Amino acid sequence: MHLPTLTRRLFLGGTLSTAGAALLAPGRARAQDAVALQLSWLHSVQFGGSYLARKNGYWRDAGLEVSLLPGGPNAPVEPPVVAGTALVGISAADYTAAAVNQGAPFRIIGVAMQKNPFAIASLPDNPVNSPADLVGKKIGMALANTPVLEALCSINGVDIGGIEVVPTQYDAAPLVQGQVDCLLCWATDLPVAMEIQGVESVTMLLADHGYSVHSQTYIATEDSLANRRDQLVALMKGEVMGWQDYQADPEAAAALSVEMFPDAGLDLATQKLQAERQVPLMFSDLTEAEGFGWFTEETVAANVETLKLLGKPVSPDLWDRSILEEVHG
Amino acid sequence: MSAGRGTLRGGPAALRAQHPLPRGLGLLLVLLIWEGVARATAGSFIIAAPSQIAGYMVSHSGLLWRAFGATLASAVQGFVWGNLAGVLLALLVVLLPRGERLLSALALLVFCLPLVATGPILRVLYGPGTGPQVTLAALAVYYTTFLPVLVGLRAAPQGWFDLVRSYGRGRMTALREVRLPAALPYLVAGLQIAAPAAFLGAMVGEFTGAERGLGVLTVRALRALDLPATWAIAVIAAGVSMLAFAAVGALGRRLDLAPPEVLMAPPVARSRRPWEAPAQALLALAAALLIWKGSMEVFGLPRFFAKRPEDVWFYLVTGPGAEAQRARLFAALGETLALAGPGYLAGLGLGAGLALLLALAPRLGGAVIPLSIALRSIPIIATAPLIVWALGRGAAGTITVVAVMIFFPTLIACRHGLARTPRAVLDLFEVYASSPLRRLLGAQLPAMLPAFFASARMAIPAAILAVTTAEWLATGRGIGALMATVASTSDYGMLWSAIALVGLAAVLAHALVAALERAVLARTSAEQLAR
Repeated sequence: MHLPTLTRRLFLGGTLSTAGAALLAPGRARAQDAVALQLSWLHSVQFGGSYLARKNGYWRDAGLEVSLLPGGPNAPVEPPVVAGTALVGISAADYTAAAVNQGAPFRIIGVAMQKNPFAIASLPDNPVNSPADLVGKKIGMALANTPVLEALCSINGVDIGGIEVVPTQYDAAPLVQGQVDCLLCWATDLPVAMEIQGVESVTMLLADHGYSVHSQTYIATEDSLANRRDQLVALMKGEVMGWQDYQADPEAAAALSVEMFPDAGLDLATQKLQAERQVPLMFSDLTEAEGFGWFTEETVAANVETLKLLGKPVSPDLWDRSILEEVHG
Repeated sequence: MSAGRGTLRGGPAALRAQHPLPRGLGLLLVLLIWEGVARATAGSFIIAAPSQIAGYMVSHSGLLWRAFGATLASAVQGFVWGNLAGVLLALLVVLLPRGERLLSALALLVFCLPLVATGPILRVLYGPGTGPQVTLAALAVYYTTFLPVLVGLRAAPQGWFDLVRSYGRGRMTALREVRLPAALPYLVAGLQIAAPAAFLGAMVGEFTGAERGLGVLTVRALRALDLPATWAIAVIAAGVSMLAFAAVGALGRRLDLAPPEVLMAPPVARSRRPWEAPAQALLALAAALLIWKGSMEVFGLPRFFAKRPEDVWFYLVTGPGAEAQRARLFAALGETLALAGPGYLAGLGLGAGLALLLALAPRLGGAVIPLSIALRSIPIIATAPLIVWALGRGAAGTITVVAVMIFFPTLIACRHGLARTPRAVLDLFEVYASSPLRRLLGAQLPAMLPAFFASARMAIPAAILAVTTAEWLATGRGIGALMATVASTSDYGMLWSAIALVGLAAVLAHALVAALERAVLARTSAEQLAR
């Protein structure tokens, strides 16, 4: 949502909403390119860098008006990107690989989460600290994520037959109620929820045990890469700058998320904790050296390897660094 | 007679018959027990206490109010559009009786489309905003209005049609003077069922990427393990649905609906040509395929996620791996049907049985009806954890979810059906001083049957929705889990194959119910079969 310049009509027309003003003066609204960024979930500090980019005018200055489209349980990222409703979507390498195997013309043009946020959460009395601890335990997860568990077991030489999978919906209740011993979840959501509710938990990040899948990846279609490069570069430049601001002050990003989306039901304490927990997933020695969102041949090769285990074979060509190179170059 | 008739004419009288004092005390007792149980089980995050719920509502009143306003606006628009569509469809069927099977089949198929498929498509079509929420609310109600209204449009004595004809007037006059007045009570039943469904539809519609609303807050609260928030939203959803239900009922009473007549319809001549049924089935199939493909082409939906009929054919029959894909799909469907069937019968039996029981003991209505509305108006993703916790992830839990989802519409439709028992018939039973049970079986049950069969049809898609949701959230088996899995991995070929198969199963089940209906109604309510 860009801020229109102060025109006389807007100034005088106290009764006109800004939307009405934009309708009356469509030419003015077109001064900036309107594009959409499809987020992968409901608004939260998970996308804090994007909110900072908007607030600090990084897109506006580049002539881009970016609307941030929230996701949801029935709002997959891939369809709006394929349909062109969104220029860029926030996906993850495994989802993108699956979509590409189904014929979607995607490229990954940036990686927000260098380390995959998938984790095994358990309770301290009965902790899972290493993949070997999973044997003999009941794990709650969506059955759709079975390949993730299989890959983890295969990488670490654990017999998956020794683990009992219980299909659960995605919340921490089955763990605290004792229906399961551990949960497959993101390190940045359910464990945060439990801590805020006063339930202590142990998390084991899959990324620390050989599971290399880029997450919160930026995807765009091949067509956009060919024909809308300027917009892609402008959008990604704003993202990079926004996330740099985020790194400097995650708490401010949490506060901004709560303030920017008063109807999203966000809780400041939860947002702050989540903001803090995702920092080590997003920023690494690699991003320190090369910049936010970067990936190398080595990290891509590790991803290709894990994706093969997940049954989603892809070629390294899925990753396209040309946009980032322009942004950082 | 007067007392008996008062209760027979519907639930509202039953509500009024309640003494205020015991009801208030009962409510207080329920709240106290609720509070006690919630506090005793606080550590396991299952039930929020009434005090916590009230506390959350007070401390987040602004947020809840705005979210409620957003969801209500979508629900009201969806309610209007959906009911309008349902009524128009029913009128169309009455004016073009030969098209009934075709239109019914198409209406059913559209109603069976699952959110995993419609969500992304609607979001792409509408972009940001409330379009998908309104559409999904409308889709949630049109079918349950279409069926009762269709029954009502036919619930008029043959003599009246003869009268219209003897004046040389045609179908339109019959429609205006005879059918529409006869359909009004049935419309009220449809609107009462639609009220909670529209609200739920709008909430679920927010799962497709909405900015605000109670559905958005539900998702957030569940993930945050925020029990007071989850329950506060559930209480609001249930409360607004009960209010809307009561308001529609009050409106129905204000219309002072004409007392039901004895419908003496002549027996239907069963002389259908043998080739007629298969021909109509083929026509319906062709029309469904045409609309499926045509609408996707018209809107230019990318093939990646909007698979055409030929893509499904390729996926299931001619393409590589078709055999394995077919096997996977049919195995999942088998698992699903094994649970949907018992749940369907249980919910239908429970709804009709409860309606009959309430006819005998109307006082129970004051407790049963609000509870039924509550169960029907809270998103299943919020109630499913409770059911899972109480009944486990096995067959019992799934069957219960299905039964819960369909027993409310059945109960309401059957109660309205019971209220349509002709007065003359009741007077006759009164004259002979028959027992209430005899009256129930001899007069009221036959009068209820058209409404019962309408709800048996309505319950087919409702059962499918319930079983697939339970499978997705709790058991991880069957076609519900399959659809959720393939949608998250962009396997839209499998998703649309599953949708096509589920639609086919629904149409077949519908045909089965319709055949049963014709056999029964030919004896009890021949007017429903007149062409």
